[in-house]
Amino acid sequence: MKLLKPIKGLVVAAAVAVTSIAATAIPVSAQSVIVDIQKRGTLRVGMATFVPWAMRDQEGNLIGFEIDVAKKVAADMGVEVEFVPTAWSGIIPALLAKKFDVIIGGMSITPQRNLTVNFTRPYAHSGQQMASNVALAGGFTSMDDYNDPSVTISCRRGATPCNFAQKRFPKATLRRFDDDAQAFQEVVNGNAHATISSAPKPRFWADGYPDKIFVANDGKNLSRGDEAFALRKGDVDALNFFSNWILANTSNRWLDETHAYWFDDQSAWKDMVAK
Amino acid sequence: MDRNSPPPTPPKKRLTPLDFALFSAVIGFVLFAGYRVNDVLVYDWNWSRVFNFIIRYDADSQSYVPNLLLYGLATTLRLAVWATVLATIFGVVMGYWRTCENLTLRILSRSYVELIRNLPPLVFIFIFYFFISSQLFPALGVDDINPKSWAVNNGLFRLMFGDPKLLSNFLAGMLCLAMFEGAYITEIVRAGIQSVSKGQWEASRAIGLSPFNVLRDVILPQAIRKILPPLAGQFISLIKDSAIVSLISIQELTFLATEVAATTTKVFETWILVGAMYFVLCYSFALLFGWLERRAAKIHR
Repeated sequence: MKLLKPIKGLVVAAAVAVTSIAATAIPVSAQSVIVDIQKRGTLRVGMATFVPWAMRDQEGNLIGFEIDVAKKVAADMGVEVEFVPTAWSGIIPALLAKKFDVIIGGMSITPQRNLTVNFTRPYAHSGQQMASNVALAGGFTSMDDYNDPSVTISCRRGATPCNFAQKRFPKATLRRFDDDAQAFQEVVNGNAHATISSAPKPRFWADGYPDKIFVANDGKNLSRGDEAFALRKGDVDALNFFSNWILANTSNRWLDETHAYWFDDQSAWKDMVAK
Repeated sequence: MDRNSPPPTPPKKRLTPLDFALFSAVIGFVLFAGYRVNDVLVYDWNWSRVFNFIIRYDADSQSYVPNLLLYGLATTLRLAVWATVLATIFGVVMGYWRTCENLTLRILSRSYVELIRNLPPLVFIFIFYFFISSQLFPALGVDDINPKSWAVNNGLFRLMFGDPKLLSNFLAGMLCLAMFEGAYITEIVRAGIQSVSKGQWEASRAIGLSPFNVLRDVILPQAIRKILPPLAGQFISLIKDSAIVSLISIQELTFLATEVAATTTKVFETWILVGAMYFVLCYSFALLFGWLERRAAKIHR
């Protein structure tokens, strides 16, 4: 049996090596994903639930800003749309593994992400807002008051707000959560001074808990975000098609109007979601 | 005494006042913790919004219809059943190899078991999903199956595998779980086979049975009695383990619960309800398997 041990180690090492080689050797497809989509007759869209970008109505169907966007893209291409709800932390690996054709998920353009995926021109500009606890942060006079070791800021892991918080408030303690609702709940409970999230969510939460939460920075956004579709690298045709789809629908104001419907006032669609 | 007969029943015990005191202390503590929740938690409880995602009233058909979470529960159950079937196949083959004379087979099966048992399930599933199953399914053509073709778009298929549109997603989750649980079932099968005494092997070889017949007619029938109870336990733990595949976005109960929690922002109600759903599912299977085991024990006596 002693002789067996080194061999066993080798087998395991070989298995690991084969897997990693296979993983790096994903062939770059010569054919554009646009052709694949038309051949298949369906556009597969990767997205994650995030109010009001994408959420469930009372019947369990997907609704929201980017759901409307994806449906219109598919309609303009003459194909059906298929949504692939995906955990946010794994959405880029899933795109690379061809689980879907494109991410239409309110993903903000960042240089780090751009090294892995291609971004179209932005189709929305939402930016970050901060929701603060009235009791803990009501007395703060400037945004720099948040940059203090005694201040706790919660955010959703892997999302832009976490990186933003780290840069803007480097001294504050960050608490990362798997989803937004938990990050907000920490603020409502008074365990965190504030949370940063994409607009207009902090405003919606302030509406829901007016005596617990307020939108910091006098209700103004802390930064401007650029959200774009994300595609696999090396597909110029798809990048051109989606970018120009966004250009055309920015010019004819369709994107602005749809964005306004979902983001400006939640009363228009609140009945579809809430009870 | 036959070793299959149950041990003699101990004399019935009565609950003493001390037991009642202990029970009431535990209940009191739970109630107190529940009562205290509202002190530490500023939270508007709203159960009906989350209940709606289990079952909702459909105005069009004037009836109650299942919603997301119930679909998720069905997917979880399908995942658990098929993954157990597949894992049992892996387990029986690998478990037999573990007991083989052949060195290569022993190395292969041992590597499989050790690799999986010494990785956290989360890590294994992430690696397996992105590196292996993303190559496997396109190669098998699963992604090209038209979800509207009659072969997949029928009631029986839907009952067994769920929505044909999500077939590839479902199969990926199933395979990941089966690979993972297969390692544990391998060890159960190995222990089962090794528990059959050496004399049985020697005797059946001596009367001229082929190696295959030895296994099929003599060893496995005896081993199976040892294997079944832990296998049932493994099935129940697979139901719970299946929550991990929500990481790779398999549309089962835990994944849909994250969606419901994100939509409704009712995090606590969602997870408490989902916890209750898992509990009911797992505990009913535990009761069922317990009953089957007792019945089987009676028959064998």
